[in-house]
Amino acid sequence: MKRYLTGLALVTTVMTPGAATRAYAHHSFAATYLETQNVTVEGELVEFLFRNPHSFVQLKVTEKDGTMVRYAVEWGGIGQLGQQGVTRDTFKPGDHLVISGAPGRNPEDHRVRMVSLLRPRDGFSWGHRPNEKVD
Amino acid sequence: MTPTLSISFRPALLVVAVMLAGTPSFAQVDLTGIWRNFNHEDWMERGGGSDPVDYLGIPLNDDGRARALSYNYSLLAQPEHQCGLNTPFYGFLDPFGNNIWTEFDPVTGRIIAYKIGAWLDKDIVTIWMDGRQHPSKDSFHSYAGFTTGEWQGDTLTTYTTHMKDGFLRRNAVSSSDQATMTMHITRHGDLLTMTALVEDPVYLAEPYVLSHSWRLDPTLNMPAVPTPCEPIAELPRMDKPGVVPHYLPGQNPFVNELTQMYNLPLVAVLGGPETRYPEFRQKLKDYVPPPICVRYCCGPNADGLNCIVDGSGKRQP
Repeated sequence: MKRYLTGLALVTTVMTPGAATRAYAHHSFAATYLETQNVTVEGELVEFLFRNPHSFVQLKVTEKDGTMVRYAVEWGGIGQLGQQGVTRDTFKPGDHLVISGAPGRNPEDHRVRMVSLLRPRDGFSWGHRPNEKVD
Repeated sequence: MTPTLSISFRPALLVVAVMLAGTPSFAQVDLTGIWRNFNHEDWMERGGGSDPVDYLGIPLNDDGRARALSYNYSLLAQPEHQCGLNTPFYGFLDPFGNNIWTEFDPVTGRIIAYKIGAWLDKDIVTIWMDGRQHPSKDSFHSYAGFTTGEWQGDTLTTYTTHMKDGFLRRNAVSSSDQATMTMHITRHGDLLTMTALVEDPVYLAEPYVLSHSWRLDPTLNMPAVPTPCEPIAELPRMDKPGVVPHYLPGQNPFVNELTQMYNLPLVAVLGGPETRYPEFRQKLKDYVPPPICVRYCCGPNADGLNCIVDGSGKRQP
């Protein structure tokens, strides 16, 4: 397990002038996340909270200094993910996942808004098709 | 010769007369149905949501500004806040449609209330049409508040009191629980326009007005009730007792995010009554646009469109 891009210098800054509009619910993502930045976290699934209005992927990540940190990755709600084939049983605790997304505005939250997900074991992925965006 | 109605035409005329006489006192216009949102209207607000400190155009007083600046969005991750509902004004801020239906008096058949549905996280708004009074000022405040309505011509005018505090913009600019909202609902064919006027003696120096339109769309799947919400341990740090995310006065780290992004002066992004009026532009006459556009450059559904690439505000070929 390894966490990528922890420092500011390693944070990939992605300008997104061409991003199409999306419908968000529950809260403002712009106020919650640094949407012009992107981070990648990699670790083992602690819990998949499949729920409304947004689901959460709780990931156990080993920091560079060896400490273990639990990350909360915000994802779509039940309706949206369900239409894309994601169910409550798609993941099991311990699944090794690689997740990219926008980091939270408060670093102490260890929070990420899901942009893409990969499970290397079987190649399951999300976020690469046009409709796979967090609404 | 004096013209006369034929005997066979008289019953039909009677039916038409009864229909015309019976309808207007119940409802001037049919507001019921499912109304689709226009997401290109205020799309930055209704889509991704406002930037953290963007209060431009909101007539905040000092207390309203202080509250907004102290708000840390991680607060919504607390279990007690995760499943809270939004107040009726949020319908002007979110990207969803409206589902409107009526409730009838079972005896008289009169409309006693309009209901505005609540998907995803709004409370159902009940607009009482039976002339009842608003409760006392000390009565319970709910997310939806208490709303009465009356027809003014073809416009339904409503008045809402007894709301909890709620968002006026999706970056935590808030109204207090003393706020009231007057709303004008007008239908033009398949278009429904609502105009809201929020007055708040606690956080606003002047009324805040916002309007929005929806289009009738019976094919839209728009549930009438909020979706079930289950509080969870959303953020690990919230597991510790006593954690209440906030910013102390003068310590909001995002105060200058917008000023740097758009070269705007701080006085503009902090809002206030004067920022509502066109005359405020005179204060920005030395404004220098930023050299590059970094956000919201292509508009909604921008595939194939020309985008703004610099600070000119004009689309480039």
